[in-house]
Amino acid sequence: MTDITSLRPLAAVLVSAVAVVPILASYRRPNLREGWTVLAAVLKLVLVASMVPAALRGDVYVTDLGPFVPYIDFTLRADALGLLFALVASTLWLVTSFYSIGYMRGLDEHSQTRYFAAFAGSVSSAVGVAFASNLVVLYLFYELLTVATYPLVAHDETDEARAAGRKYLAYTFGGGVAVLGGTLLVVHLAGTTAFTAGGIAGLANSDPTLARVAFALLVTGFGVKAALMPLHSWLPDAMVAPTPVSGLLHAVAVVKSGVFGVARVLLDVFGIDLVAELGVGGVLAAIAAFTLLTASVIALRQDNLKRRLAFSTVSQLSYIVLGIAVGGAAALGTGDAAKWALIGGLLHIPAHAFMKLTLFFCAGAVHVETHTDDISNMAGIGKRMPLTMGAFAVAAAGMAGIPLVAGFVSKYFLLIGTVSSGSLLFTVALLVSGVLNIAYFWPVVYTAFFETPERSDEKPLVEANLGGYFGREARADGGHEETATAGHDDGRGHGNGNGHGHAAGWERFAPNGSESTWFMLGPILFAAAGSVVLGVVPDTAVFLQVVREIVAGATAMGVVV
Amino acid sequence: MSDLAALVVALPIFGSLVAFLAALVRSKSGWPVAVVATVAQLAVAATLAARAFGEGTISYVVGGFEAPYGIELVVDGLTATMLVLIAAVSLGVLAYARRAGPRSNPFYAVFMLLVAGLTGMSVTADLFNMYVFLEITGLAAYALVASGDRGRSAVAALKYLLVGTVGASLFLLGVGYAYIDTGTLNMADLAAKLAANGYSATLTQTAFALIVVGLFIKVAVFPLHTWQPDAYAGAPDTVSGLISALVSTVAAYALLRVVFTVFGTAFLDANPFAHGLLVGGAIISILLGSLLAVSQSEVKRMLAYSSVSQFGLIVAAISIGNVTALTGAAIHLVGHAIMKGGLFLTAGLVATETGARRVDEYEGLVKRSPVGAGVFGVLAVAMVGVPPTIGFAGKWYIAVGAAEAGAWTLLAVIVGSTLLTLAYFARLVERMFFREPSADLEPAVERVEAVPDGGDATESDAVEASLGMYAAVVAAAVLSVALGFAVFGYGDVLQSTIEALLS
Repeated sequence: MTDITSLRPLAAVLVSAVAVVPILASYRRPNLREGWTVLAAVLKLVLVASMVPAALRGDVYVTDLGPFVPYIDFTLRADALGLLFALVASTLWLVTSFYSIGYMRGLDEHSQTRYFAAFAGSVSSAVGVAFASNLVVLYLFYELLTVATYPLVAHDETDEARAAGRKYLAYTFGGGVAVLGGTLLVVHLAGTTAFTAGGIAGLANSDPTLARVAFALLVTGFGVKAALMPLHSWLPDAMVAPTPVSGLLHAVAVVKSGVFGVARVLLDVFGIDLVAELGVGGVLAAIAAFTLLTASVIALRQDNLKRRLAFSTVSQLSYIVLGIAVGGAAALGTGDAAKWALIGGLLHIPAHAFMKLTLFFCAGAVHVETHTDDISNMAGIGKRMPLTMGAFAVAAAGMAGIPLVAGFVSKYFLLIGTVSSGSLLFTVALLVSGVLNIAYFWPVVYTAFFETPERSDEKPLVEANLGGYFGREARADGGHEETATAGHDDGRGHGNGNGHGHAAGWERFAPNGSESTWFMLGPILFAAAGSVVLGVVPDTAVFLQVVREIVAGATAMGVVV
Repeated sequence: MSDLAALVVALPIFGSLVAFLAALVRSKSGWPVAVVATVAQLAVAATLAARAFGEGTISYVVGGFEAPYGIELVVDGLTATMLVLIAAVSLGVLAYARRAGPRSNPFYAVFMLLVAGLTGMSVTADLFNMYVFLEITGLAAYALVASGDRGRSAVAALKYLLVGTVGASLFLLGVGYAYIDTGTLNMADLAAKLAANGYSATLTQTAFALIVVGLFIKVAVFPLHTWQPDAYAGAPDTVSGLISALVSTVAAYALLRVVFTVFGTAFLDANPFAHGLLVGGAIISILLGSLLAVSQSEVKRMLAYSSVSQFGLIVAAISIGNVTALTGAAIHLVGHAIMKGGLFLTAGLVATETGARRVDEYEGLVKRSPVGAGVFGVLAVAMVGVPPTIGFAGKWYIAVGAAEAGAWTLLAVIVGSTLLTLAYFARLVERMFFREPSADLEPAVERVEAVPDGGDATESDAVEASLGMYAAVVAAAVLSVALGFAVFGYGDVLQSTIEALLS
């Protein structure tokens, strides 16, 4: 493991930060402004990708800027775990930039300059999070990420957007404070916070109770952005942001920085052996399992497509946390359970990113072209947008774990990991969640392709009233339907309730790209294709190789599986 | 020149005199005189700092009267920091005041007197001499606050005068008791004699308590802070920027000096009540200052309560008392001066351009005053403590100091103060950038002219913001981020000073 001193990590972080200035300066010339964004995205991708071959060999690019504050050096390291996140973020930023052009112009949105500038700043911070070599530099970029993404969440400037922005700030800065507390505790216990493969040595010899407190603080702090329950509620509210924001940031950059932080804490601060000794891996795995099931159930009830996708994100992020936590819990056991679980969890980072981005892009394209946001209004929309909904179907299949799409590969490793570790409860949770994924994605696909506005079935899960405590208002109303609450098949509501389709039906488009602009369709198809490629040849598509390299370093088992 | 230590105090006094007398030659000539004097002051301060950091602490006796009978001036790393800070911030405020501020000669005479008082407080090594300069600072500050032309300024100044005089009197009483106890007024000599007496005499403890409470009033620690919101909000914008950045800062420096150079860590160890006084004041200030700031509807009052909270952090650092924490205190004193001074000057800039003074008037400010809104946003982010700004650096040092000392309650409060600061700044940031401007406001609602010669104040140029105003606030914003990267080097050079303080 040799270190190569180079400015490339710093350059990769700063490329888009520097681009903010020309973007702001070109506010009168939209094409030039968008050109800066694309240029910065291409440069960033090239820089990040150029560091991958070295990392696969075990050499790491390092930029050391010297001491910053006591105990902390300002160093950026492009190691395998960092490159995993950075590669995902930079690839998908390029794709999202094109999509944003189509989306923002399609809706003739206001404040586009602020939007593109904040986007560039956010991706810069995300890559900074990826390459941070110690907890304090990670915290630095983590906070900057919050500051840079806030203008995007509150972009619409409506009351709802501002409220979502306030909630976002409160949750994420609160998480940041917890991370700061945990970092200080680690400094106190170990004298350093530098990420070391296998864990910081000083922590292993310190007081277990304080180490557990530090773990709890750090994981809680990162868990806010990783949307672990009950810290997840900022995410559905943040869906008020424009769809590219929801897609890249709240399915890829911001939330992945949260799970990335969790990964760093478990793999490079504590090390999976210490996590297993302290017994905290099992607790985290339990929280993750709870989150992935509960969020899936809540997703069943959501009529707004983006909110459904938001809860799906909450659920899928916990797949990643579950994999890492089980890796931690099983580290001291015999066999390779820890390795499989870690591979599954870490591979899910790029897998979920591609799939979820596809889904969000589809939702956004539907919004731009037809101004439809709710699933109940989408009957027959497959005729109107065949390519879009086709990509949606592919990505949804991957989310459920159908083979040939990326989600299957990561889920396969996760399942094997949990089974080998003996915690069958988690295996069952994963399988049930797979069924629930189908349960909340299939209706969307079915409605789009197999229904028409005139003839559509009831959606009892979304429309019917809840019974018991949650349904008391509905009963007091005399049983009128409320679309706001979800439920069991308690009372059969009338199926023809609210606005099923338009009176005139959808216009029919051929699947040749005429349904929408290629600015949006291109990225959609790219992301969907990426999900399939990752599902068919994950090693050649480089991500699985990177993941294996990470796990080899983390488990110190030497042999790369 | 070996008399630089005395020159650094004499120069602003002389400048004040020249500014006052220059009115005989030419009216409205106060500003150029003040600028020349302050630039010279900055040069002298920088030379002293280079010598103090490079060669070691400088000692100077005034008039050849040897210590402990005469007055000794000592320039160590901490003093040097204060000297440069005072001169630099005064220069920045003068840049702002070229078009904004009062233009009369008496105003600038009092301005230079304030600089003299602050400089004297920083450089003196004699406790009674410190009282003298504390009073000079106070009187100059009261006069500056009163220089606005509305009744509100006069009332605010009166309140400040009454409360401030009580504080200074308590300080004097404490100095008197210390003199009775030991027979000397020189700080180093006092430290030696107090150590010899042992720290448990009631007289010593009373002296400590009186001096500390007197300084708490001057630093505006909760609940002795009540003069501050009125004074900061009622003063003209130029004056608010100056006094918020410097007066409480130098008073906090004086607190540091008294607690560590005169009484020492051994005194705090021997008297847990004294330690408790500091910790209690710190925690209450941090929490309640922030809570009160959230409920304010006027921006300058909100910033004043924010100062109460931030100085709580400094007092917390003093109570922790290890090298890291005290380095953090020094860094935060500098950082807060730049950030808070910048914020007040920005508030003045915004009021000049748009007339907005209340929180709800800041809606949509980014459209009406883009530079003002941008700078305010950057400074707010720095105050919250987002890395890599200097606000984060100061807080990090103090928090690490708390962790090293095992002060877990203080650590939790310090770390939590980030969220509290966020609470009152986020609502302003949201209003500035994410709301539409509501009503039309007339610019420059506040007219800042104290014209003793009864002439007409020129109305026309009070409406536009000048280049000096923009330069001052942008410089504050840039420094608040850039200095964050310089703290480690600064911590290194300060280390010998802090270790000497703690021994």
